Amino acid sequence: MSERNGQKASSEDGGSKKSKIDLNRLEMPKQAPEVRRRNFDEVATGYTYEMAMEEAKRCIQCKKRNCQQGCPVNIDIPDFIRLLQKGDIEGASRVLKAKTSLPGICGRVCPQEQQCEHACTLNKKGAPIAIGRLERFIADWERGEGIISMAQIAPTSLKQVAVVGSGPSGLTVASDLAIRGHRVTMFEALHVAGGVLMYGIPEFRLPKEIVQREVDYVASLGVEIRLDTVIGINYSLDELLRSRYQAVYLATGAGLPMFLGVPGENLNLVYSANEFLTRTNLMKAYLYPEYATPVKMGGRVAIIGGGNVAMDSARCAVRLGASEVSVIYRRTRDEMPARLEEVENAEEEGIRFYFLCAPTAFIGDGRNNVAAMELIRMRLGEPDSSGRRRPVPIPGSDYVMEVDTVVVSLGTTPNPLISSTTPDLKTSRRGTVLVDDRGRTSKARVWAGGDIVSGGATVISAMGEGRRAASAMHQFLSE
Amino acid sequence: MFSIIAHEELAPRVHRMRVRAPVVAAKAKPGQFIILIIDEKGERVPFTLSGWDEDAGLVDFVYIEVGKTTRRLAALKVGDEVAHFVGPLGRPAEIGRFGNVVAVVSGYGIAAMVPVLRSMKEQGNHVTTILQTPDRERLFGEADLQLFSDRIIPVIEPNGEEVTGSVTRSLRRLLANSAREPIHRVVAMASLCIMRVVSEITRPFAVKTMVHLTPLMVDGTGMCGACRLSVNGNNRFACVHGPEFDAHAVDGWEVMMARRCTYADESVLQQGFQCRGCSQW
Ligand SMILES: Cc1cc2nc3c(=O)[nH]c(=O)nc-3n(C[C@H](O)[C@H](O)[C@H](O)COP(=O)(O)OP(=O)(O)OC[C@H]3O[C@@H](n4cnc5c(N)ncnc54)[C@H](O)[C@@H]3O)c2cc1C
Ligand SMILES: Cc1cc2nc3c(=O)[nH]c(=O)nc-3n(C[C@H](O)[C@H](O)[C@H](O)COP(=O)(O)OP(=O)(O)OC[C@H]3O[C@@H](n4cnc5c(N)ncnc54)[C@H](O)[C@@H]3O)c2cc1C
Ligand code: SF4
Ligand code: SF4
Ligand code: FES
Repeated sequence: MSERNGQKASSEDGGSKKSKIDLNRLEMPKQAPEVRRRNFDEVATGYTYEMAMEEAKRCIQCKKRNCQQGCPVNIDIPDFIRLLQKGDIEGASRVLKAKTSLPGICGRVCPQEQQCEHACTLNKKGAPIAIGRLERFIADWERGEGIISMAQIAPTSLKQVAVVGSGPSGLTVASDLAIRGHRVTMFEALHVAGGVLMYGIPEFRLPKEIVQREVDYVASLGVEIRLDTVIGINYSLDELLRSRYQAVYLATGAGLPMFLGVPGENLNLVYSANEFLTRTNLMKAYLYPEYATPVKMGGRVAIIGGGNVAMDSARCAVRLGASEVSVIYRRTRDEMPARLEEVENAEEEGIRFYFLCAPTAFIGDGRNNVAAMELIRMRLGEPDSSGRRRPVPIPGSDYVMEVDTVVVSLGTTPNPLISSTTPDLKTSRRGTVLVDDRGRTSKARVWAGGDIVSGGATVISAMGEGRRAASAMHQFLSE
Repeated sequence: MFSIIAHEELAPRVHRMRVRAPVVAAKAKPGQFIILIIDEKGERVPFTLSGWDEDAGLVDFVYIEVGKTTRRLAALKVGDEVAHFVGPLGRPAEIGRFGNVVAVVSGYGIAAMVPVLRSMKEQGNHVTTILQTPDRERLFGEADLQLFSDRIIPVIEPNGEEVTGSVTRSLRRLLANSAREPIHRVVAMASLCIMRVVSEITRPFAVKTMVHLTPLMVDGTGMCGACRLSVNGNNRFACVHGPEFDAHAVDGWEVMMARRCTYADESVLQQGFQCRGCSQW
């Protein structure tokens, strides 16, 4: 995000008392692009204590709490910032923990510019409080000090709940229900908990150690985490409901990768983003051979797509040593769904963007490795249902681009493993699970939330849906 | 952690491992596989189940030492543990009352086909098994196959490069005789090259042929798409839609085999996997 060098200005927004408002939104230090292109360490290094204090002091403690309304989990933002202003970091952390068990994660990957910071009163002057960075500071400070502020756990209810999937949505429900005294078992298909936070979002944006710390915190609340267990295979949903669980929360995400469906897409070294990112992040291929999983990649890498997943793939490719990384997107920069901050980071890291074009075929080298792709140019036509202008191919504009590796990042849909083994669970045509406004599915005693319901959204919305379902589930369990 | 209950060498570089994994044993079906990880730095590697005991909570698989992970596996002892073990993955093999069934096995397929043939026998099929192995020394698992096969045709071919040729001859002979003794189904669990050749031989006879495909896999649950292949023009994931497929519906064997060898080096030249004429070599 670009920072404005605002001046101290007097404001009418600060309530009745006229106060000086500081519009110097404080940048967070980052590794220089030439340096970070060569490592997987975190790009943004975080506020120091002094910086956090300086930024917190800018908050004018609005009575209307605009910021709080912008946060999907309704964090008491003015309260935690007030405690921070007083230097009470532990107190600030408790305020955060009341609404999120994953502050270190939200502070890093929330699209704050569309949420809390967008709503912040000071955003009218173009200098919203850096709420996400402050959250991150608090979470990191706690970690540094080795302090874990634990939520108060209610006496046991003797009720048992199964949570399927350990991404942000499952983690939220598990911790919320554990705090309310229920016994929670969380099932995870992979060998580590965390969902996309572990296998998708790269280390340099979200260190895995931080995710695991949050997972450990959830476990410390008494949640039993059962890894290597696939619901729909090891136990069907009906088996869970028949066994010791009174209620089930489905949070299996949207893990099924989509492909373009053009000729040559299965050639060697054409990856789905999920495979490329899983090898790189979850399996730590960047540390191969210390870690046993490799990822093979040529020098010229093309990434197809324009979302966060495409940016992450492109930036991983750079760090893995690609000489030339190109992002191929069928609309223009303005329509890209990726966060602006990450697009700018990618540009700084030398990634090239090719807009208004799309692959129509992949061409092999005679040994079934991808060697080139055929592209067609696009122009923007009428807006489609999403309100974005629809890309229209320009006839005869085909051209060829040489590539050694392709990463297809078009998005994902829910994995049908559970819905296909549970006939009475209603799903949409896109495969998402249908729920009411409190997360309840068509099946008795089953709730769902996160990407399996939305089809793919954000960490914080997955948490928000989890929070909402958890309170509905708690009500049900208390009846 | 999953402890190793038994571990034996069946032939040079071929081992059977038995692991305590009750959750896997409870649901195991013929033709399914597991994925294991030795330790936190390990790779996720798939192996087909060659047996299980639901009551004891144990599962077996047979593996061939080919590369880093399988060499490390071979060094583990009874009482050691592997960090992760997930399954049973994939769809079970199709079992039915078909009549005369011909099985083609090589490599680990010699062991992993046993549960399939047991079920085939239970259904009352007549089973003929073509067993390929490079030499007498590396012949293993014949006794287990014998239990569920009415007839075994061993193909012991010292010259590795001729492997597909000799399996072909045996199968052709059976097919040539099919006017008198019809073949209702062929099922193969062998090297990709052998399975590909098998599928081309049975195609003109319109004998339904099932093959157990082993593209590269990462998660094994349909999340990564590494294992994708084209079946009747549709993208299919071997880990959830397979690993057993109708061989005559699989298109693009070449591409699949190339993908399978993305990370292969000389180590791919293992028992039953001699890939002469493979596009990657
Ligand atoms: C590369 C990438 C980058 C992203 N960047 C951002 C970002 O910067 N900011 C942001 O807000 N959002 C981002 N997102 C989106 C965000 O990560 C997701 O919206 C969020 O993780 C969804 O959470 P979830 O809990 O619903 O599911 P997931 O995080 O997908 O977790 C689902 C879990 O369920 C497990 N599971 C699936 N099926 C089964 C089963 N049958 N049995 C047992 N377990 C099962 C999976 O293995 C997985 O661990 C990104 C996504 C990706 C892929
Ligand atoms: C569904 C399925 C079932 C299998 N069943 C068995 C079995 O029962 N017994 C057995 O010995 N082998 C089996 N394999 C193959 C086995 O997974 C590989 O031999 C093993 O992963 C090699 O690991 P490595 O580290 O020792 O060798 P590497 O040095 O990594 O590779 C050696 C060879 O194995 C292939 N390979 C490597 N990793 C994988 C992977 N993740 N998935 C598929 N192939 C890979 C490589 O392409 C290469 O050809 C199966 C594979 C699949 C996909
Ligand atoms: S959770 Fe996300 S949206 Fe809410 S306050 Fe924190 S950074 Fe903002
Ligand atoms: S964060 Fe922004 S909106 Fe919220 S109280 Fe502070 S200045 Fe006001
Ligand atoms: S192994 Fe990942 S989708 Fe099959």
